Amino acid sequence: MNRSLIQRALLLIAAFPLYSVAADSALRIDDPYVRLVPPNAPASAAFMVISNSGSTERQLLKAQSPAAKTVELHTHINDHGVMKMRQVPSIAIKANGRTELKPGSYHIMLIDLKQALNEGDSVPLTLSFDDGSTQQITAPVRKIQAAAPAMDHGAMKH
Amino acid sequence: MSRRALWILLCVGLAALLAWLSFAWQPPAGVAALHNAPQRAETPTGGDFTLASADGPVALANYRGKVVLLYFGYTFCPDVCPTSLSTIAQALSMLTAGELERVNSFLISVDPGRDTMAVLKAYAPFFHPNIVGISGTADEVAQVARQYGARYMKQKPDADGRYAVDHSSFTYVIGADGKLAASLPYASPPQHIVDAIRAQLGAAHANQLTRP
Repeated sequence: MNRSLIQRALLLIAAFPLYSVAADSALRIDDPYVRLVPPNAPASAAFMVISNSGSTERQLLKAQSPAAKTVELHTHINDHGVMKMRQVPSIAIKANGRTELKPGSYHIMLIDLKQALNEGDSVPLTLSFDDGSTQQITAPVRKIQAAAPAMDHGAMKH
Repeated sequence: MSRRALWILLCVGLAALLAWLSFAWQPPAGVAALHNAPQRAETPTGGDFTLASADGPVALANYRGKVVLLYFGYTFCPDVCPTSLSTIAQALSMLTAGELERVNSFLISVDPGRDTMAVLKAYAPFFHPNIVGISGTADEVAQVARQYGARYMKQKPDADGRYAVDHSSFTYVIGADGKLAASLPYASPPQHIVDAIRAQLGAAHANQLTRP
């Protein structure tokens, strides 16, 4: 696929945010985003909340994206302060439950980014589940910041 | 059996039990794990080091009077390092300009094989211009990590030769006297880092002032 075709495809998908192929699926994806990383960083990660309104546990089995050469499901294990990142075969979403893909936990790892991601870019992702359904989403590239309390000038010592 | 023989039997039995306890008995896994926890390891003392940056050597000894933040990570890290570096960046942006002038932050790469000086220079300041990427030979980095109690282990490469590096994710705060003042764990809020920096800036200030 040539570059302009990819760009047109990106634009097209970006015009329909959260458009889902499996509209009748019990699975819903909310607040997807990709972490903004330095332009030379080889990898980034996508995060989101996956909700399952069905009565059967579902598994996210695979994620694909044209933005990276390899896309893998990962989690982190905090072993006495050592953060161990490990590939996982699937991510479960319990019946009538939700699973949060978030920093320091489950994430979709985008390895060998094809081009640098800029804030505001949209990254298309195709998620495949164990019931055979797929969901196509676009995740905006976002700078991640921990929630910081507003500056309290009253508390500052002058 | 005589009373005397019974006593001897009891003593031999107790001695055997003691011997077995001291040689063979292993505490349950949970207890053993606690003893292996990093906080029980020899207390890291920090201390001076010299590593390389794209703009020349960085020697901690040259930063007396400044508060120094250290973070051990690597640029291939897709999640934990960017999270921690973003948090440090947020903390730095919460300081006044005057405070920021007296703070220097360093990302020490635990992956010197891939993180060249040029890679580090393009990566670290992206989070905040105050953050400088430094590294050295594998041995030099290992020595500094030992000093500060940072731990890391390169994982087996996949078919494409890509590998992750497991690593502890503390933000080390070094006071104006060059001594390790605080080790803040992963996911510490920016305000905790600000508080730790201000505590050290305050201590340095108090030492310089001769109050009437």
